[in-house]
Amino acid sequence: MDLQTLTSMNWGIMAPEFVVLGTALLLSLLDLFMTGKKSRRPLGILAIAGIAASFIFLYLQFGDPGASLFHDMYRLDSFSKAFKLILLLGTGLILVLAYDYQMKEEEEYRGEFYYLLLTALLGAMVMASSADMITLFIGLELLSLSSYVMAGLRKGKMESNEAAFKYVVTGGISTAVTLFGMSYIFGMTGETNLYAVGAALRDTSILQNQFLLVFAFFITFAGLTFKIASAPFHMWAPDVYQGSPLPVTAFLSVVSKTAGFALILRFFLLCFSSAPGIKGDQLLLQVQPYLAVLAGATMIAGNVIALRQRDIKRLFAYSSVAQAGYILVPFVSVSALLFETTWFYLLAYLFMNIGAFAVIQAVTAAAGTNDISGFEGLYKRSPWLAVAMTIFILSLAGIPLTAGFAGKFGIFMNALGTNPPHYILAGILMATTVVSYFYYFNIIGQMFFRTGQEGPRIQHKNGLLVVTAVCAAATLFFGIFPGAALHFFYNEFQFNDFFQVMEQK
Amino acid sequence: MQNAWLIPLLPLLSFILLLLFGKKLKEASAYAGIGATLLSLMLAAAVMLGQWGGESYKAEGVWLSIGKHAVTMGYEINPLNALMLVIVTLVSFLVHVYSKSYMRGDDRFHVFFAYLGLFTFAMLGLVLSPNLLQVYMFWELVGLGSFLLIGYYYFKPEAKAAAKKAFIMTRIGDVGLFIGIILLYWQAGSFEYDEIFKAIADGTISSDMITLIAILIFVGAVGKSGQLPLHTWLPDAMEGPTPVSALIHAATMVAAGVYLVAAMYPLFEASSAAMTTVAVVGGITAIFAASIGLMQKDIKRVLAYSTVSQLGYMMLALGSGGYTAGVFHLMTHAFFKALLFLAAGSVIHAVHTQNIEEMGGLWRKLKITAPLFLIGALSISGFPLFSGFFSKDEILMATYGDGRYGLFVLAVLAAFFTAFYMFRLFFMVFAGSPSQEHGKVGESDGPMILPMAVLGVLAVLAGYLNTPWFGTFLADYLSHGPVRFAAEGEHGPIWIPILATAVSLAGILLAYLMYGKKKLSRNWLSRSLPSLSTIVYRKYYVDEAYDATVVRGTTGFSCLWSYVDRYLVEGAVNGTVSLIQWLGKRGSYMYDGQVQRIGAVAVAGLVIILLFFAAAGGYFS
Repeated sequence: MDLQTLTSMNWGIMAPEFVVLGTALLLSLLDLFMTGKKSRRPLGILAIAGIAASFIFLYLQFGDPGASLFHDMYRLDSFSKAFKLILLLGTGLILVLAYDYQMKEEEEYRGEFYYLLLTALLGAMVMASSADMITLFIGLELLSLSSYVMAGLRKGKMESNEAAFKYVVTGGISTAVTLFGMSYIFGMTGETNLYAVGAALRDTSILQNQFLLVFAFFITFAGLTFKIASAPFHMWAPDVYQGSPLPVTAFLSVVSKTAGFALILRFFLLCFSSAPGIKGDQLLLQVQPYLAVLAGATMIAGNVIALRQRDIKRLFAYSSVAQAGYILVPFVSVSALLFETTWFYLLAYLFMNIGAFAVIQAVTAAAGTNDISGFEGLYKRSPWLAVAMTIFILSLAGIPLTAGFAGKFGIFMNALGTNPPHYILAGILMATTVVSYFYYFNIIGQMFFRTGQEGPRIQHKNGLLVVTAVCAAATLFFGIFPGAALHFFYNEFQFNDFFQVMEQK
Repeated sequence: MQNAWLIPLLPLLSFILLLLFGKKLKEASAYAGIGATLLSLMLAAAVMLGQWGGESYKAEGVWLSIGKHAVTMGYEINPLNALMLVIVTLVSFLVHVYSKSYMRGDDRFHVFFAYLGLFTFAMLGLVLSPNLLQVYMFWELVGLGSFLLIGYYYFKPEAKAAAKKAFIMTRIGDVGLFIGIILLYWQAGSFEYDEIFKAIADGTISSDMITLIAILIFVGAVGKSGQLPLHTWLPDAMEGPTPVSALIHAATMVAAGVYLVAAMYPLFEASSAAMTTVAVVGGITAIFAASIGLMQKDIKRVLAYSTVSQLGYMMLALGSGGYTAGVFHLMTHAFFKALLFLAAGSVIHAVHTQNIEEMGGLWRKLKITAPLFLIGALSISGFPLFSGFFSKDEILMATYGDGRYGLFVLAVLAAFFTAFYMFRLFFMVFAGSPSQEHGKVGESDGPMILPMAVLGVLAVLAGYLNTPWFGTFLADYLSHGPVRFAAEGEHGPIWIPILATAVSLAGILLAYLMYGKKKLSRNWLSRSLPSLSTIVYRKYYVDEAYDATVVRGTTGFSCLWSYVDRYLVEGAVNGTVSLIQWLGKRGSYMYDGQVQRIGAVAVAGLVIILLFFAAAGGYFS
């Protein structure tokens, strides 16, 4: 490939990614040349500006027809746009939140945090846009490696080191498993491009290796569950969430998870949508019971063990495991509404979870402990934070008039709208939701029903206020008018280009 | 009619207003709530008058479209929900007025009225909903309002526990409801009542599916209306302030389950298995809760069990095909039970205890509350010419007419128990001499008396809306609604009202002999019922005989059911909770953070899945 072909390509479709990359590079250079004691906070503003610019480029692409680079290795289709929207929104909110995060003695690493967050975001965006196993894997690893470092950012703290260590080791195992599964798929088809793989798997000659194919599916899936923290690869979440700095925890639970879902949807639907399973059935239908078991186990494990948690970050780790189980349901049931429900729930989840983490950041900082008792009498100390937290928790619990309910409603429509309906999965979803009330309402009880020690009023920082206000407003808005988000979705993202091979323009 | 959407919005407005400015308004907060509910009441009354012989009205818009499926939101007026609107706004208004005085001096006065506004909004929204999804959303909000109000005295650990229990127990029922609603959507293609009814009438849904969906929806009603086995939260909910018990846990929210069954009546009617389930659960709940009510010592718990039992009656009526009877009893019960609770609140207000063994001789001290309580008690006991008499009669006739004689016997027995425990309560509280000194016992003031008086009048008069003598106004009115039902009741055998009267009198008499006879109050009672004096004269034998048979029997029976309730039903519920907690404990041991274990679990999980698939797919064979 000579220079001329390289420059003649439509690099514009990667504009949002380039902006993020450029900002990350700029920040790392600035950080390098800044004197040791100088505050790194202005870098945060630069990072936010970078995200905003990237967001604008993404927005400008909304009307564009689909396009691709390197024969569908990198795609600009409605799927990638829809998911990149969530990724950028989430990272932007987390950056605003991180601006107020107190690093104490590790303040000098703040700059590092900003550009690592941006490279992690870049990885996530690659995961949302690639349709080739190699680039997907690069995106996945870019996200993972940046996250490993971020988890251990508070170098002076044992728990942060522990988190980073565990994250690296379990991440390594998951990567190995994923690659192992992918290698089978490559071995059977000789292709790395997902469309080519999908086409190759349609061939009847694949039938002689039918078991191998299903095994490859399961192995790859199990490896990828690491990113979304669902069974069987979910046990790292509590330790890592607990030990990581709070904005990193929020990033892992929202952005990283969204990227994981984007990858899972793209990878499995493209590769296996028409692959035969054993005995002539569709593979995707045949694996359903097994995936349903995994999703059910995720919901049960997350919700049941959350009951025992006193540490608010651990509690939210289990809660986020449970939420991953919910979001898997549309994928498991493969109904016609799969994309919009998953996307809507992830959007709702973004607002309610980042909002909740924002409140947790303020409360744990004021209480000096991660224990749930830090929430005692919050209503007295800061009515605004208490009310906002109530909105987020009601939404996480799926109470009507919140975005979480609208999302869960969609998931239910998926589970019961297929033929035959997934009664058991829907039942587990509903039952574990009831279990989740115990710990969610326990937090509400702590905030309102407990006088607690009359602590001082919590000082509100501006960034935090912005994040909680935006998240609370969005949670309520999308709860009362979920149609607004879905209308936008149908207008902007057609999704009929998902299965279309695009010629390079 | 076009302005009906204002009815729920006014209380919501009051809620928002009090949330924002409540602290400044202080005691004036009450006026915001009272004003809002009064306006709602007037609108609701206008709507109901418009419905009398008028057409149903419906307005809605698209709320959400998922793919090709559109979900609408809006409101609908039909005879059934217009009636419910009036009941809810009326009781809510009266409770607001009552609370202004009852809650005086509470430092979270405005919060209380704000919560009341939220609850009233949710309940009215539920009633106005034209589709099941909207019903479900308000159904949950109503539960949230109830949660907040039960936990209002949050400094009491029991109140906190009761609030949580109520919320979670009713949510167990909602699991069924929600699944039922979504299944129905996929079967009928809509959440709208009328389209669902059309689909049922057209026979597009298989009969097994109808039964399944009806029972799932009924599970939701069981949770909300405190039917067996999900009733245990309701007596505990009495930890909330008494006006709340009157509004939520007697007149409105707990009746939502009955309302749902009535609103979805064509669905239930299409499946005889579902109808039987409703009737049997209702009948057993009626007798079960009534027998537990016999031995309770807390004035509010007696009333709570009585509510559970009366709700069982309503379910029994609906399940036996007595649509009018069920709705009729829902209405009369709303009035007399709200009256009883408010009167009980007035008593508690006066003596500062809820234990009836510490009360007594209050007839003279509470000269207005006592007769009002008596009206309520007579009404619920089915004493002739009071409202409960007419509605209970209809239920008995419907049950008999349906040919479920076993349930009929249970219902008659439950009527006897009801009369007995209500008058046991009455005599222990008002007759005799005070067993303890309560200091100065004073009658409540105007704002508390007035609502009770209004309810007292209604507790008598509401019965005449549907009688075999004066005309079946209610049945005619309801027959304009979307629900078609057979005319019922009037042609039942004449001995049923006589039997019902006899049973009610027997219960009252027994209570009198046991709890009222030796007391000073004997004079007034024998004066009002002269024929009693002969029996009283022979009290010795009667007493002995009763003691040996009936009293021992009922005591034993009641104890038995109390044990069943405490150990079997609660046990099962608590067992489930413990199981989940045990799992959580075991689980969190497993999550000890060992990296080896994290990896091992992941790989083991993967291997198990692969092995299962290989085995199920026939790789080994």
